[in-house]
Amino acid sequence: MIELLVYLLCASILVSGILAVGVKGLMAALASAGLAGLFAAVCYEVLGAPDVAMTQASIGSGLAMLIFLYAIRRTAGAED
Amino acid sequence: MAEDLLVAAAALIFLGIMFGVLRLILGRTLVDRVVAVDMLTVVSISLIALYAHVAGRFIYLDVALVYGVLSFLGVLAIARYLEQGL
Repeated sequence: MIELLVYLLCASILVSGILAVGVKGLMAALASAGLAGLFAAVCYEVLGAPDVAMTQASIGSGLAMLIFLYAIRRTAGAED
Repeated sequence: MAEDLLVAAAALIFLGIMFGVLRLILGRTLVDRVVAVDMLTVVSISLIALYAHVAGRFIYLDVALVYGVLSFLGVLAIARYLEQGL
């Protein structure tokens, strides 16, 4: 049962990552990348590492998204 | 009985994840995609809470707490960006 959960989460990470590369528009790609980090955090938790999951949630999703937004704003800006 | 309820909850959570990802793939506008990501965050928090109950280790709930606070901030930042703020 837990193995099935891990497999489904890994499939979700793959779909989010492919979507982050292939989607049109910077902001949609940013949202998809944040989603991949979210599923990775849940996967870490299910595999038994809640501290890693907490760091991934706070740094990977909270701080990285803000820094990306700031960088997009300061450079070219989103196309859409 | 309780076991069946937990399995049903997990199935419903994965149905929600499936439809959220479908909306993210098909999403016509950017707002559709951002709302889909927000919904997937809430569904994932419920998945974390369910796993904390199944595993019987309530320290796992701290991750759900941190995620609940930070996902709110992330969506708020994107919404502010869309309004040309930030």
